Amino acid sequence: MIPEPQPVVLIVEDELSIRRFLKPSLQTEGFAVAEADTGAEGLALAASRQPAVVLLDLGLPDVDGLEILRRLRAVSAVPVIILTARGRDEDKIAGLDAGADDYLTKPFSVGELLARIRVALRHAQAPGEDACAEPYASGDLAVDLAARMVRARGAEVHLTPHEYGILALLVRRAGKVVTQKQILKEVWGHAGVEQAHYVRLYVHQLRGKIERDPARPVHIVTEPGVGYRLKDA
Amino acid sequence: MPSASIPPTVASRPSRRWVAAASALLVVGACTAVDAVLYPHMDLANLVMVYLLGVLLLAYFQGTGASVLASFLSVVMFDFCFVPPRFTLAIASAQHLFTFAVMLLVALSIGQLTAWVRAQAEEARARERRTAELYALSRELATTRGTDDLLGAALKHISAHLESAAVALLPDAKGKLCVRCGDASEFSLSPRETALAQWAYDFGQLTGRGTAIVPDAEALYVPLPASGETVGALAVKPLVAGRLLSPEQIDLLEALAHQTALAVASDRLTDENQRIRVREENERIRSSLLSSVSHDLRTPLAAITGSATALLQEDGGLDAAARRDLLENIRDEADRLSRLVGNLIEMTRLEAGPVDLHTELHHLEDVVGSALARMEERLRGRPLVTALPADLPMVPMDALLMEQVLVNLVDNALKYTPAATPVEVVAEAGNGRLTVRVSDRGPGIPPEDLDRLFDKFYRGRLHGPAGGAGLGLAICKAVVEAHGGAIWAANRAGGGAVFQFFLPAEAPPP
Repeated sequence: MIPEPQPVVLIVEDELSIRRFLKPSLQTEGFAVAEADTGAEGLALAASRQPAVVLLDLGLPDVDGLEILRRLRAVSAVPVIILTARGRDEDKIAGLDAGADDYLTKPFSVGELLARIRVALRHAQAPGEDACAEPYASGDLAVDLAARMVRARGAEVHLTPHEYGILALLVRRAGKVVTQKQILKEVWGHAGVEQAHYVRLYVHQLRGKIERDPARPVHIVTEPGVGYRLKDA
Repeated sequence: MPSASIPPTVASRPSRRWVAAASALLVVGACTAVDAVLYPHMDLANLVMVYLLGVLLLAYFQGTGASVLASFLSVVMFDFCFVPPRFTLAIASAQHLFTFAVMLLVALSIGQLTAWVRAQAEEARARERRTAELYALSRELATTRGTDDLLGAALKHISAHLESAAVALLPDAKGKLCVRCGDASEFSLSPRETALAQWAYDFGQLTGRGTAIVPDAEALYVPLPASGETVGALAVKPLVAGRLLSPEQIDLLEALAHQTALAVASDRLTDENQRIRVREENERIRSSLLSSVSHDLRTPLAAITGSATALLQEDGGLDAAARRDLLENIRDEADRLSRLVGNLIEMTRLEAGPVDLHTELHHLEDVVGSALARMEERLRGRPLVTALPADLPMVPMDALLMEQVLVNLVDNALKYTPAATPVEVVAEAGNGRLTVRVSDRGPGIPPEDLDRLFDKFYRGRLHGPAGGAGLGLAICKAVVEAHGGAIWAANRAGGGAVFQFFLPAEAPPP
């Protein structure tokens, strides 16, 4: 299924022990792997190898990972998944704001990593986020954006415009994290931090309509301190 | 007492002497006038009585000096005015000489005795005042804590009762005195004055104004002697310029200084004991942390190392199921390490100072959801019930910390109860509170553990098979209390334990 030549995953990570398990895991999935243990080398490889996905550790010894991200974004739209330590939520948000597509919190499993890469590749290949013509279906939830139709647990669900706006945004970015700021900007048209609790209020209502048990959601999961993610179909 | 070295310093002495002399003249004159009126009707012996009465009054009101003067004057005036031949100092009969001698003797004796009685009474009054003053100060010192407040109380008493300005000087780290307490504006604190204060402190002697050591100094310096050490010195300066303190006042001042010094010293001792206790407690916690953490870090590390080396060394002897089991063991133990390290970091952060809460309005449902999602792997196969009313209000909280609280409480329930028993997460709102309960149907909590469960590094007698550093519940307590809530544990009717906490539904006023 992967076309030749093999897509390249660039790993920018200074810890050898992390690279040691990333490289074989990615290779068995059919990726070619390029490794850099400094930011400068990472930027050089990003230019020469034209990777399909970049895994970027934010705690690099030479340059701040966010700075690498900005420089990379200035020249390329390649999907970037940032790797951070738990508890550094400001880093995650800063990284996503600076143009990262997604993040993984260390320690993470290879399964999680591959799922994130798959989602990132799919979104990179889609021509534009709004041209998501294919209806979304996952478990007991089905969303047809073209028809503005939402079905959950076998019945059509009626959503308010804001609820629908949030769900539509999550569907268009299915599998990817969406920050509260992005939701405010896309659905409300502005991104005042003080309104963030509206997002939480509407997500709560939305879950009440589409989740079987809103306290253990299977569709819209919370990314603590960051935002929400619609489970990949 | 070192005050013996002080020269008597009675204020304005010369003018008082003149007053005594003048009153002696006046009284003797008055007695003579009265006797002149009585002379035609009485004999000489009765006239003497009038003089004796005058001497008595003088002795009582003016003291010995006036009464002695008056005694001699009386004899002279009596002789001159009334003893024949009148209006000369000549004596007609030798018998009158005897009268004069007895009269003089009686007058002098009356004067001395009366003055002595008076001095006794005055001394008793002074003693009483002094005792009352010392008692008032000691009562105030007994209810005061802290060096500054103790010195403040003493200075207040001194200023009020000695009509003086006063400051307290305490030694700095190098033993050099500096003003610690009181209004120093009345004092010049020139090098000479400072040296006198230092002298008082170094040698425990009174120095400065009115003492043997530089009597013309600006202020009087009194050491603050406690048992075995001098804690500092007082500088005292009468508010009326040029006045000196009387010996009684200096005695009182010394007694007050002594009492204050004892109070300060004993307060410091209490402080020191407190610090020692805190240090011992910290020491205990640190060693308990070390032993507990090293055990809890080593156990999963040993399991990971063991499983990994087993996989590396096997040469086809293990079947697929056994290999998978070893691999799963590595993953589970690594998860456990990760949780432990996470809790350690969290605790360190919570203890580093005031907790920096990122409080925003959140739905509990959201937080419960992400907590349970984090534990998905371990919750597999465990009956878990959530009962969160759909209309729970949004409540101000730090979502990440609150997620940790829920993870720790549910983790605790999983660790200490059998695999098939249910765990419940229930919430309700009311009375301005959001109450959350995490309950299980395990063995419950021994009553003696209930109070200490939330202490750091405390592990109940029923150690869970998975262990833990005893930090989980301590973190819960710290986080919930930082939110203005409270957490406690109890045993359920019908078996099992319940951990319950509440959060205020409104943000606390800033």
